[in-house]
Amino acid sequence: MTISLNYIFKRLILAFCVVVGVLVFSYVLILATPGDPAVKWAGNPRGPGAVKAIQLAREELGLDKPIYVQIAVFMYNFFTGNLGYCIAYKGQHVVQVMITSFMSTFELTLLAYVISVPLALYLGLYSALKRGGIFDNIVQSASVVLASTPTYWLATLLLLVFTILKISVYGTASPRLIAETGFNTITGSYLLDSVLQGNMQVFVDSFLRMIPPALAISIYPIGALTRLVRVLVAKSLLEDYVKASIALGVERGTIIRYFVVRSIIPSLVQVSGLSFTYSLIDAMVVEAVFGRRGLGSLLIGALNTADFKIAVTLIAFIAIFYIFVNTLVDILQALIDPRVRL
Amino acid sequence: MIQRLSTTLNRSFKKTRFKIGLAISLLVIFLAIFAPYIVPRPQEGLGYVPYDAEAKKLLPPSTEYLFGTDLLGRDLFSRVIMGARTALLQVSIVVIVSLLLGLLLGVMAAYFKGLIEVLLNYFTEIFMAMPTIVIALVLRLTLGHGIHVTALSLILTWWAWYARISYVYARGVVELDYVILAKLAGLHSFKIIYRHVILNIIQPLIVQAITDLGSVLLEAAAINFLGLGVQPGYPEWGVILYEGVFYGGGVEVFTRAPWLIVFPGLFLLLTTLGFSLLGDCLREEIDPQLRRRWHLWF
Repeated sequence: MTISLNYIFKRLILAFCVVVGVLVFSYVLILATPGDPAVKWAGNPRGPGAVKAIQLAREELGLDKPIYVQIAVFMYNFFTGNLGYCIAYKGQHVVQVMITSFMSTFELTLLAYVISVPLALYLGLYSALKRGGIFDNIVQSASVVLASTPTYWLATLLLLVFTILKISVYGTASPRLIAETGFNTITGSYLLDSVLQGNMQVFVDSFLRMIPPALAISIYPIGALTRLVRVLVAKSLLEDYVKASIALGVERGTIIRYFVVRSIIPSLVQVSGLSFTYSLIDAMVVEAVFGRRGLGSLLIGALNTADFKIAVTLIAFIAIFYIFVNTLVDILQALIDPRVRL
Repeated sequence: MIQRLSTTLNRSFKKTRFKIGLAISLLVIFLAIFAPYIVPRPQEGLGYVPYDAEAKKLLPPSTEYLFGTDLLGRDLFSRVIMGARTALLQVSIVVIVSLLLGLLLGVMAAYFKGLIEVLLNYFTEIFMAMPTIVIALVLRLTLGHGIHVTALSLILTWWAWYARISYVYARGVVELDYVILAKLAGLHSFKIIYRHVILNIIQPLIVQAITDLGSVLLEAAAINFLGLGVQPGYPEWGVILYEGVFYGGGVEVFTRAPWLIVFPGLFLLLTTLGFSLLGDCLREEIDPQLRRRWHLWF
């Protein structure tokens, strides 16, 4: 493992540089767009006191300083976690709101991936092994359709079906149950919090409410990963080591399990990692449909209160998560794929 | 190049999937051009509320109102069909602009090595990490409503994707002998970039762009669905869904009137499907690895 430490270090340095670039850009984006943020921050004031209010807002936001100082201050505040308070969630720290919302979205996306990755692996593998057959044709067409279904539309349809069936799936957990059992959020992930507090009722309730949105989110990865697995398996079946093992009379199941599946896992991990952040964004839209607490509701809140601070922090937060996942996936790949380990 | 393109098209045309994709895409283009002449109420399609709105509110689908009416009494059929134009417009603007931008920057990064390569790749890396929806939020807060918000936020993130792909393709081409010879012959750098590099890698990039049309459409509709892009009333499928889902009590309304959400979503799905079928078939044709027949070992 000593060889890949150098690689990991290099990747981390690169990731840090990109994070700095993202922070600078997201700050510049707000300054570069027309419209004075100070006017917006002061709440579009009119009348005699307007000039003073805008001036105060400008000082509060630090817009009267030179741009590089502003960026440096913003960067310093970001890395020390001192981002002030947020308007939509009265009096809470931006960082705290961000982390609790993120945890809620993250658990939802994670559940979607727990559903979709094994399913995609299974479907892709079998359709590649039975290529040209009915199963393959059905899976192929279904995966194209699934990958082009709008997630938020499916979420709305699921909500519609469950509402007609009189099953409540709206929201993160039943408010009545939360009030009765005295549940409160610690990390923001309802499953984790309810386990920490030993509150099984809320655990089951929030888990059941997570299933429909998770299903909606999982259709894109199911469709895309199934096709990926199918192509990867097909390529892997043509490799010399597979031909050699067939010639040596190795059992079919062994070849598939230990040679074929083993060889596609690194690529599968990489692509699932890349599409995870994409699904996180999908999850934000789905959350808005289901009225769940999370990054999606944070986004809507920031829209309604014109909260630039939340918007910038959200960009930086998601971008950092994307870079983090990418770096992690590259490092993981170096660890699990002997061919990359150089 | 024209020769290669026509063989690709010819071979693709033998597939049923390609024909379905082409049919759907042509239908959408047809609707985009002729929508105002097809729909019975083009004014309502553009968002105008009829004078007797209260009486026409939430009518179920019938022969007069094919897709029913919405909360404000507008004919949903007119609105959805008129949406084809917006869909095509925003998708083509986003894909063409980001393809051109990404292609130029990606090829430049591969051709001029050294500092330019490092810097351009660094910028590409940064913009690839940006979440489109949140950029749309920032633009919505500063620029207000409008289709430009949707388009701009998508371009800001999509160009990086094309820059990355063109960089990878171009890096293979700039090492080829004829490029080096052209350099030695003293041809102007931009002439080499255009004639010897870009023309060589444009085909897979165009196919990639066709494949991406669907994803761009879904993302654009997602931005509008959250109310970050065009204003409510605009003939756009995402916004029509937004009105159905979030207006006037949300769940209660669309459980009573499911046609509000079924039809715009169905059009989104079909259009995306058409574009991705087209792109997939073309990609299979130009990528020899995907075209290769599989031997039946098992």
